[in-house]
Amino acid sequence: MPGSLTLWFLVLQRLGIALLTLLIVSFAVFFATELLPGDVAQILLGQAATPEAVAGLRHAMGLDEPAILRFFGWLAGLVHGDLGTSYVNKMPVAQLIGDRLINSLKLAGVTTVVSVPISLLMGIAAAMWRGSIFDRVISTLTISLISVPEFLVATLSVLVFAVWLGWLPALSYGADTSSFTALLKAYAMPVITLSFVISAQMIRMTRAAVIETINTPYVEMALLKGASRRRMVLGHALPNALGPIANAIALSLSYLVGGVIIVETIFNYPGVAKLMVDAVSTRDLPLIQSCAMIFCVSYLSLITLADLIAILSNPRLRH
Amino acid sequence: MKTLSNPLLLISHAHHGYAFNKVGRAGLAVIIFWGLIAIFGPLIEPYPPGQIASYDIFTPVSAEHWMGLDYLGHDVFSRVLMGARYTVGIALASVFLACTGGVILGMIAAVAGGLFDMILSRLLDAFNGIPSLLFGLVAVAAVGSSIPVLVLTLAAIYLPGSYRFARALAVNVNTMDFVTVARARGEKTPYLILREIFPNILGPVLADLGLRFVFIVLVLSGLSFLGLGVQPPNADWGALVRENVEGLSLGAPAIIFPCIAIASLTISVNLFIDNLPTKIRDRS
Amino acid sequence: MKKIPMNWSGQDDAMVENAIRRGATRRELLKMLMASGVGAAAGGSLLMRADRAVAATPKSGGNLRAAGWSSSTADTLDPAQASLSTDYVRCCAFYDRLTFLNETGNVENELATELATDDAQTWQIKLREGVTFHDGKAFGADDVVFSLKRHLDPAVGSKVNSIAKQMTEISKVDDKTVKIVLDQPNADLPTILSLHHFMIVAEGTTDFSKGNGTGAFICETFEPGVKSLATKNPNYWKENRPYLDSFEFFAITDNNARVNALMSGDIQLAASVNPRSMRILKSDPKVVTSVSTSGNYTNLNMRLDLNPGDKAGFVEGMKYLLNREAIQKSVFRGLAEIANDQPISPADRYHNPNLKAREFDPEKAKALFEKAGVLGTEIPIVASDAATSSVDMATIVQQAGDQIGMKFKIDRVPSDGYWSNYWLKAPVHFGNINPRPTPDILFSLLYASDAPWNESQYKSAKFDKMLAEARGALDDSKRTQMYWEMQEMVANEAGTAIPVYISNVDALSDKVGGLKPNPLGGMMGYDFARHVWLES
Repeated sequence: MPGSLTLWFLVLQRLGIALLTLLIVSFAVFFATELLPGDVAQILLGQAATPEAVAGLRHAMGLDEPAILRFFGWLAGLVHGDLGTSYVNKMPVAQLIGDRLINSLKLAGVTTVVSVPISLLMGIAAAMWRGSIFDRVISTLTISLISVPEFLVATLSVLVFAVWLGWLPALSYGADTSSFTALLKAYAMPVITLSFVISAQMIRMTRAAVIETINTPYVEMALLKGASRRRMVLGHALPNALGPIANAIALSLSYLVGGVIIVETIFNYPGVAKLMVDAVSTRDLPLIQSCAMIFCVSYLSLITLADLIAILSNPRLRH
Repeated sequence: MKTLSNPLLLISHAHHGYAFNKVGRAGLAVIIFWGLIAIFGPLIEPYPPGQIASYDIFTPVSAEHWMGLDYLGHDVFSRVLMGARYTVGIALASVFLACTGGVILGMIAAVAGGLFDMILSRLLDAFNGIPSLLFGLVAVAAVGSSIPVLVLTLAAIYLPGSYRFARALAVNVNTMDFVTVARARGEKTPYLILREIFPNILGPVLADLGLRFVFIVLVLSGLSFLGLGVQPPNADWGALVRENVEGLSLGAPAIIFPCIAIASLTISVNLFIDNLPTKIRDRS
Repeated sequence: MKKIPMNWSGQDDAMVENAIRRGATRRELLKMLMASGVGAAAGGSLLMRADRAVAATPKSGGNLRAAGWSSSTADTLDPAQASLSTDYVRCCAFYDRLTFLNETGNVENELATELATDDAQTWQIKLREGVTFHDGKAFGADDVVFSLKRHLDPAVGSKVNSIAKQMTEISKVDDKTVKIVLDQPNADLPTILSLHHFMIVAEGTTDFSKGNGTGAFICETFEPGVKSLATKNPNYWKENRPYLDSFEFFAITDNNARVNALMSGDIQLAASVNPRSMRILKSDPKVVTSVSTSGNYTNLNMRLDLNPGDKAGFVEGMKYLLNREAIQKSVFRGLAEIANDQPISPADRYHNPNLKAREFDPEKAKALFEKAGVLGTEIPIVASDAATSSVDMATIVQQAGDQIGMKFKIDRVPSDGYWSNYWLKAPVHFGNINPRPTPDILFSLLYASDAPWNESQYKSAKFDKMLAEARGALDDSKRTQMYWEMQEMVANEAGTAIPVYISNVDALSDKVGGLKPNPLGGMMGYDFARHVWLES
């Protein structure tokens, strides 16, 4: 039982550290936003921003008090679970984020379910048959796929499947999702585009990590003694490579929440990545902060999970 | 496939020594080719990269314009030659910085462990938590736009990922018997890192470097929209693809050739890494 | 459908459509086409397309999905704060103005039935009877007074605060009459009231998210940065309008994605498509395009009070170095009209046709730069994607400079914060000005000595005096005379080089009928929703 106790202790410790990390990020984001030229009143007025108009609007929006005080006010609200109110449209940030976060998580979830198992399988298989035609094809194919810019993959797939063939809707949001097939159709292109982007890293890292563990003297010895290749890979090499693999997967997946701006733009899919871009461009501090916190929480939970997997998979790290 | 079922294959590989295989050599040749273009390209450009050669756009290949004309009537061939310098140079410099920094820090953290590891890891996590859009905009606002700033920004964005992966690998190696033995012998940390850890994580680290190189080549063009990229009339290859995207539905060479240039470079770099002489790759 | 010749540009389509509207016969049109080198067969199919765009009978019903090009969490249904095309489209659907500009650029009454004045300074506005807001409240003078007075309150953040300031008194005479007194005579008041920001909202409104107006559509859902859904207002005061049962509006920021969504049938209208997409759009028989050239332009600004703009000869040299033809043909694929460095476009009836654009003349420019003593120095030009096509224009200037040994360094800066950070501030930079309905608005905003957006810091006492005089002139020919002279002054003296007036291209499904170009901008001056219909 001491093993599981240390584990619990570890989780608690990481949780505490995660909160601290969030606080640091929040301050960093605040200072970064303050460094950017222009404030929300100036940006909202755009070309019509005369000094008196800016002053008037700033006053009306309640932005007279120093930014740092407003920031502390926001932090205090956050402790009570209140994400604040958007400066720009006076709507509660929670309401602005709500649906769009669900959209983002849906897309990320489906992409994960599709891409992670496939990537793992392909990576392991490539490592097992290292140097074979299969390995080479997989390696070259994955690199080719990520060498094509994401916006090009997305645009090209819309052109082929929506415009020329007419099989799929060009826009994912607002498309008919009443039946399962319709839902499948609406999600097909964004999910495939995103899978292309994130699979390559997972496949290649899995392959490299597994090969590295196959190369250890222990495995080499066992193989020389005639142990089954498959058993050695699955039973010994893979568990030892799980740490790095989990980290590679975590890094890839963390991209799915905040980094999918291109896919959101091209498929007109309202998620949190576009929300963050909007927030930054209007200097809407409560919204920027809330989005940054969401990205950070998802990133931290993914890497913490990866670290835990690494520790659990390597018996020597457990003590 | 017959020989592949032979478990000895792996071992026999390890005895090839420093010999380069054909694929690796081909990869190297393409990299050198682009390297030469990056250096001498501007000397052989038929047109200045900003010159409008014709009022026609997205034309097919012709004797006069080998890769056709782009969205504004520039000669695409000249622009691809010009772009090599920026893409190859910037991507190599920033991937080198990001991976060297990340791997060294990662190994130190893994070997040193304890508080140092924890603080460094969490700091880099926090850094990764800052959205890169915000980071890029702040970089421009604070220090302005220039190629060194661009390289440093890219390195900063990609360092935490490299660190995390290298550290995860090094932590695993660090628990191996031979490291424990070396430590018991009284070897110092630098020795452990250089002689015991580094050779044993080199393979995956290089694979990671190859991938990061691809990402950086592609993200370059995105940064030019933040005002951080290469300034006009020059452009990197990714930017060439982006500015000609309207030519996609017309199948214009203006969009195909920059894509081929990017793919040939990134694939070669990765093939080269995959096929490095086994003595270098797997020094375990 | 016959193949359209490659060199046939959208501008020619617009020419044909305009000719048909003016009442040209088919034979005259064909002759016109032959003269411009188009074969009879291709000419015929062009005419068919133009015919279809012009003449058709409206049908009722259907749901229209339309996509603009920009949308963010800053989307608003408050007309005073409306800043983007997306806001204008929605405001036009949910609210009405007192007046509006029709496609010929003439003022028509909307919620006003009469605007009377003797001296252009005191105005009596009679209001339409029997109009109600969506929530059932009757429309009256109080609403108009409230709606107009809002713009004077700095806390509202109105985009037209500087224009509204001339209304020194806005008061209710009786329930259906409003009196407006101006600080000085302005004969343009009816046109000014047609600006999108002067939409009429219900008295006392503070929450604008419901879009409660008197407009042709009722707001069902409105999610800033996502989309809006509107349904037909059954009590709309205008007979038989709108035709559509409902319409959905959102933005697809990526040009290709917008074009693709139209061609795949996911949307029926794609606003403001890139001229480079013209070729692919023309190849699709189910798509038609609508071109409107109004006063939108991207201009090169040289501050006259900063180096190098303060050196005599530099500004003029730059105007000669601007290769307008290259900008028109390469950057805008012919979908632009060459401009002559002043803001009044040919779409405006006060445009001075005698003022010719400067020819591209690098040698003359070189001599002028030599005179200014700037030849051989490196001059930075600030460009950004925020100002349409300015980066491409900058490279054209740079290229022309290389020919004569004049070095320009392009500083491409982020769109983010461009208007508050670089515009009006950098010594040499690009701006982008949207169409405005009257010369007075443009000149007051951009060229008067105290203009809020005096892009080049142009100061001329003579110009200011003429501006005030023309504003109050009720005699149109005298007014025209003055505006023509002022255009000359701006073209020759100000530090703003205006190379072309940019056409706006909207692409739509051939099922959409009734869309016509409007001088206030694309999508029928953003007011398409209540004028278009869907063929089944």
